[in-house]
Amino acid sequence: MTFLVGVNPGQRSASTLHLAAMLARSAGTDLVVAAIVPQTWPMTAGRSDAEWQRYTHQTANVVLDHAAAVLGDSVQAEYLLREASSARRGLLELVDERGCDLVVVGSSSAGPLGRIALGSESDALVHASHVPVAIAPRGFRTKDEARVGRVTAAYGGTDAAADLVIGAAGIAAQVGASLRIASFAVVPTVSGTSGTGLADEQRIIDEWASDIDRHAQQLIAEVSSLPRPPKTADTVIGMGHTWESAIEDVEWNADDVLVVGSSSLGPIARVFLGSHAAKVVRHSPVPVVVVPRRAAQELAEEAQA
Amino acid sequence: MPTVAQQLLRRKPTTPPGANEVHLKRSIGLFSLTMIGVGGTLGTGIFFILSQAVPVAGPAVIWSFVIGGVVAGLTALCYAEMAGAVPVSGSTYSYAYATLGEATAMGVGACLLLEYGVSTAAVAVGWSQYVNQLLQNLFGWQIPLQWSQAPEQGGIINIPAIIVIVLCSLLLIRGASESTTVNSVMVVIKIAVILFFCAVAFTGWNADHFHNFAPAGFAGIIGGAGIIFFSFVGLDAVSTAGDEAKNPKRNLPLAIIFALLIIVALYVLTCLAALGAQAPDKFKNQDAGLAAILQNIIGASWPGTIVAAGAIISIFSVTLVVLYGQTRILFAMSRDGMIPPIFAKVNPRTMTPIPNTVIVMVLTATLAAVIPIDFLAEMTSIGTLVAFIVVSLGVIILRVREPNLERGFRLPFGWTIPILSILGCIAIITQLRLITIEVFVIWTIVFLVFYWFYGRRHSELEVGHPVVPVDPDDSAPYVPYTTNVAQPTTGEVRRAAAERKTEDRG
Repeated sequence: MTFLVGVNPGQRSASTLHLAAMLARSAGTDLVVAAIVPQTWPMTAGRSDAEWQRYTHQTANVVLDHAAAVLGDSVQAEYLLREASSARRGLLELVDERGCDLVVVGSSSAGPLGRIALGSESDALVHASHVPVAIAPRGFRTKDEARVGRVTAAYGGTDAAADLVIGAAGIAAQVGASLRIASFAVVPTVSGTSGTGLADEQRIIDEWASDIDRHAQQLIAEVSSLPRPPKTADTVIGMGHTWESAIEDVEWNADDVLVVGSSSLGPIARVFLGSHAAKVVRHSPVPVVVVPRRAAQELAEEAQA
Repeated sequence: MPTVAQQLLRRKPTTPPGANEVHLKRSIGLFSLTMIGVGGTLGTGIFFILSQAVPVAGPAVIWSFVIGGVVAGLTALCYAEMAGAVPVSGSTYSYAYATLGEATAMGVGACLLLEYGVSTAAVAVGWSQYVNQLLQNLFGWQIPLQWSQAPEQGGIINIPAIIVIVLCSLLLIRGASESTTVNSVMVVIKIAVILFFCAVAFTGWNADHFHNFAPAGFAGIIGGAGIIFFSFVGLDAVSTAGDEAKNPKRNLPLAIIFALLIIVALYVLTCLAALGAQAPDKFKNQDAGLAAILQNIIGASWPGTIVAAGAIISIFSVTLVVLYGQTRILFAMSRDGMIPPIFAKVNPRTMTPIPNTVIVMVLTATLAAVIPIDFLAEMTSIGTLVAFIVVSLGVIILRVREPNLERGFRLPFGWTIPILSILGCIAIITQLRLITIEVFVIWTIVFLVFYWFYGRRHSELEVGHPVVPVDPDDSAPYVPYTTNVAQPTTGEVRRAAAERKTEDRG
């Protein structure tokens, strides 16, 4: 078992490494840190890109040196430089080659500090990966020797989401963390024109919340009957007028990790972030692990075995 | 202060300090090497260059191709020795910098701008001809003459040629790459289209077309060779794969020779088929030549449509490769301080030199829009020929200066091959049009004047820019931090780097 860390050869970033180290320490695995550089072209007359290749390799080595300095001796890590037609492809090839169980990537430098923003490559990776992808918020830092304290599973009330919760429970048990099942609802600001008024809106929301709560309680029961249950498990519902405020509605700790599943739309095994999941990812104040549907099923089976 | 002579003749160290040379497995066999040569060379020139070369050489253009091929083969062999002798992998420009000094390297740079930049424009114009042909065949409409021809050809501006260059540049900015697979597919398409053309064209064979075989005599044949010469650019791709080749001493020369035989055979076959099907006097100013010839003899448009479609796909792919080469050469020159640093600016998100690509796009698109194809082809040829002369000269100079250098591949017969290659290139250059030679000389002078005022002072080798960095980190490119929250200190990074190095060795 090993985790793959993708570092951007054009920028030194510590946040990805802090998250990777925290996850690896919790799970007791080692890391493979990989910088993917553009591949050289097979047919350039006069080898016109030789110097370019030397430059990309040099920058990638600077970034890998920086990664080694950040990680220090806190985790076992191996450093690789790879040529591939895209970062996404290079990372996925490595996942298959090394049998990695998780890929860790950083946020785009264009995003706000403390939040997650998928760049074009990480976005493509999230959509094509068949193993979970962990994304660090921009500027993410942990204390020395930090471990995951709580795994929060985002739950939307579908079967796929149930698999995800059971899978997340298995992970939480494995890393010695507690489990929390979280659901989020956006309560529309009232339109005074429809004539139904606030009370009706509120009734709908209450109905939804009690439904979710009932499901979640069933899941908690299921989780506690697992062969290796996590330390504790509870449920929480966040509400707000916007996604941002709904997610801020619940409390978050520095050692939290949020797990979201792919959309339950269609039979695709790959991750397809539904509109809700995408919004949850964008506003999460803690690192997010996106779990493809099939991987969620496998995790659930593992947890139940 | 260094003297001017010292400045002009200073050489880049062949093994730059701190260069982590990538050692590649020797995995490429003779067949793959040959295919690399065919793929790199088998060009798109053959799709449109006959219309320019036949009026000059007549049916004897067949010999033009043979002569061009022999000269290209000789220089490719010289290139193979050079690539095996200079321990650092590099482009033609780097080899010149390492063996012949800074001023010569800048001269080579000027030639390479023609070999890559101008040839981008040339193939883009060829592409526009076939696009128009395809539009005509499929929809019975084509882009009006004034929007698809250079001013000299009766148009105003060549819009399709601009479009193909802009498209390729956008792909490069996004970080597209041409993989070995794509290259192989392209080779198959090109060969298939050429063979299809020959098969159909031979049905209209008429031996009378060869009666006046060499109307302009030997000078015409060599003149034709000058026009078609750029169809052989890319043969040196074989030599650059040298560090990955199995048994390079035997395989490199064999691969170059085999690739050359295949290419010359295909080109000569195409010439025979085209001339057998159409009288030599009809070639002049014929757009989308191969497609037009087929349509004339068959009297239907479908064969022309097939050839046009194949030509459009393969020319597009070649445009992409050549544009890429141009941007990376400028990148290398900029890193050495020869041209302004904007050419070495790399976008950290896409890992592509965006400003560089945009500048190249604007300049090549401008050339393609307003300069006629025959002039573009000749400018490409003269740039390539002069660069080849420098490489061959470099082989001789290296042999005199460093006789005991370990070489992966050494040319037989002493100096014979480099000298023959130089003479061949000079012979072809003398038969180019006077205007081509004049423009080339002016261009090179302009470039060297620029070097005098800019590169000479900004060179990385200038005193004050230490060649051997005091601190190994200083030779490494600057890589920015995304955020500066609690990053490791330089000292920590350095220690980690040192540890990684010892681990790699251990």
